[in-house]
Amino acid sequence: MNLSPVDNCYLPKIAILDRVVDEIAEVKTFYWRFTDPAEQAAFKKFRPGQFAQVSLFGIGEFPASLPPSPTEADTFFTVKQVGSCSAALHALKPGDKFAVRGPYGNGFPMEEYYGKNLVFVAGGIGLIPLRSCIIYALAHREKYKRIQIFLGAKTPRDLMYRDNLREWEKSAGVECHLTVDRAADGWTGNVGVVGSLFKKPGVQVAVEDTVAFVCGPPIMFRFVIKDLKALGFQDKNIVSTLERYMKCGVGKCGHCCIGVAYVCVDGPVFTYDQIQKLGEDI
Amino acid sequence: MKARILDSADVLKIVDLLRQQGHEVFAPFGGRGRDTCYDSVTDQNRGEIQIHLPNPYYPPKRFIFPHIERLMKVQRSDGDLQIEPTYREPKRAIFGIRSCDVAGIWHLDRFFLGREHRDIYYEKRRKNMFLVNVVCTDPARDIGEECFCVCADTGPAAREHFDLQLMDLGGGEFMAVAGTEAGEALFSAPFFRKGTEEHVAKRRAILGEVRKSFKPSTTSWFSAAIRHVSAGRIQEKTWEEIGKRCLECGGCTYVCPACTCFTVSDRQVGPDEVERVRIWDACALGGFTRMAGGHNPRRAVHDRRNRRFFRKLSHYFIQRELSMACVGCGRCAAVCHGDIGMPSVVEMIRRETAEVDKHEPVAR
Ligand SMILES: Cc1cc2nc3c(=O)[nH]c(=O)nc-3n(C[C@H](O)[C@H](O)[C@H](O)COP(=O)(O)OP(=O)(O)OC[C@H]3O[C@@H](n4cnc5c(N)ncnc54)[C@H](O)[C@@H]3O)c2cc1C
Ligand code: SF4
Ligand code: FES
Repeated sequence: MNLSPVDNCYLPKIAILDRVVDEIAEVKTFYWRFTDPAEQAAFKKFRPGQFAQVSLFGIGEFPASLPPSPTEADTFFTVKQVGSCSAALHALKPGDKFAVRGPYGNGFPMEEYYGKNLVFVAGGIGLIPLRSCIIYALAHREKYKRIQIFLGAKTPRDLMYRDNLREWEKSAGVECHLTVDRAADGWTGNVGVVGSLFKKPGVQVAVEDTVAFVCGPPIMFRFVIKDLKALGFQDKNIVSTLERYMKCGVGKCGHCCIGVAYVCVDGPVFTYDQIQKLGEDI
Repeated sequence: MKARILDSADVLKIVDLLRQQGHEVFAPFGGRGRDTCYDSVTDQNRGEIQIHLPNPYYPPKRFIFPHIERLMKVQRSDGDLQIEPTYREPKRAIFGIRSCDVAGIWHLDRFFLGREHRDIYYEKRRKNMFLVNVVCTDPARDIGEECFCVCADTGPAAREHFDLQLMDLGGGEFMAVAGTEAGEALFSAPFFRKGTEEHVAKRRAILGEVRKSFKPSTTSWFSAAIRHVSAGRIQEKTWEEIGKRCLECGGCTYVCPACTCFTVSDRQVGPDEVERVRIWDACALGGFTRMAGGHNPRRAVHDRRNRRFFRKLSHYFIQRELSMACVGCGRCAAVCHGDIGMPSVVEMIRRETAEVDKHEPVAR
């Protein structure tokens, strides 16, 4: 990456919050844009799987994935309220200003996957980074073979991006399978962990010439990896994102360093093969 | 590289020259006992500058990468935000910096100015920094029990990365070597004179002698330790033993001339004003990798110790920066309450391999 000498990689740019949409309990989607249109245009060149650093001055900064695809018009974050920064973002109202810098990280190499089948497996808010890839793949539908989505949530109430889900379920170009751990609210779909979808009658998971994207909580990740390997997936064809405590996002503060990688610049996207070679617990 | 000779009595005139050029000069001063420190030179304290003294524990890297540094100021008014980066590019010089610390600054250069992103705060301070290296030649005062620059290949005489290097030749004379054009420019001062073949021979002889005055240290096994760590051949129980002795004080990282980690924090400085600062951080501390939700992937102390030594010794990282994050200053060995400074860790790795070798089956 060539940067001009005046670039300050720690300096966030001012953003304005346009609207807020409730997703699920404690999780909201924040539509925003940079106040400077040139900044916005430059930022829009991000890749699926990259992230940004979000500043709530006086509280701090935190990393958030970019759930939109660069092929979409809007820029937004989907953030779960867990601590002080995320709470401060949740407290903002449309019209309020905060600051953003990025995009950072390697992102998913979506072009390298041209001509392959794509299998997306997400648990809970693991869908946040994968949403970008799914929308991107659908916008370049002719470049890929089969596209399959397997989504798990605790209860039907914990399914996020519902408009997208409805679209994907109806779309002819993509197979979308949902499951919940516990049924409620008249749920008639599958009940069970996300891996149970792979064995559902009528489901045929693409394995040959396929890339599997897996994002979700650590426990879900471990089980899904087992299931995928049982189906015949090779480690190098499984990709995921790692989450680390991050302070700078640009490879300097050292916080995200794991084994031989700085997650913020070498990741957050890694193949399962790479993850095992990092030489540390994830 | 050009060299000149000057009288011992004129050495501090270099400080005067630098101050006349507008540099704020930091130089080493003695304290009580082993206690020494770098301080800003004034007309009052100028005469107390020490050329030969134990290297101060608090490393001079802080004049380029401050312990606490403001990154930006943010003003809030009527719902609007004004973000103003706060750059500082003071014209500074470090007089008397030891060769290990010069190598430390070189490592910081590689790390902060290299790879994907340049660190503009570091760059601005570094750009205006003039380094006067002093070669450690006095075994009694300069060279400590824990020093192992000879094993880390950073000293006792730095080969590069300084502007000017001074070496005490004894007999009331110093040799000055220019490392940059700015350093060479100083030679126009009247107190420098040309040297002779004898001076060069003297320098060589002194360096040969000084190299012998280092403790026959176990860190001569340093490069082997690098190989073992890089190959992942260190047994878990060795890391555990190291971890058990770590009190998680973070002292080793605060004295290390080559550690780079920091954390970032916002603080309210006025009713509508916030400043964002960065502060040195230590991978030894429990909160370093803790994530939101309380999950801490590097929870065990020995994992964090492992991290520090892996980061410093693994070939992967040495290659990544093309410089090494340990320069052999020995400070961590001096400050560590648990005796797991770098020399001890190298020794523990050496002992472990000796033990493993003993149990190796003999090929027939
Ligand atoms: C690449 C990347 C992408 C991400 N993308 C997203 C995303 O799209 N959406 C999203 O919601 N999240 C995302 N995250 C996670 C998100 O960054 C964290 O949830 C966020 O940093 C939380 O910040 P916070 O200030 O709200 O929490 P913090 O205030 O930092 O702390 C949260 C929790 O940490 C613990 N904690 C903090 N301080 C202490 C202390 N002193 N002692 C003990 N415990 C403490 C507490 O359990 C607290 O609840 C991502 C993370 C990464 C690395
Ligand atoms: S690890 Fe220890 S010996 Fe090596 S440079 Fe740092 S403080 Fe000095
Ligand atoms: S977040 Fe600072 S180095 Fe990766």
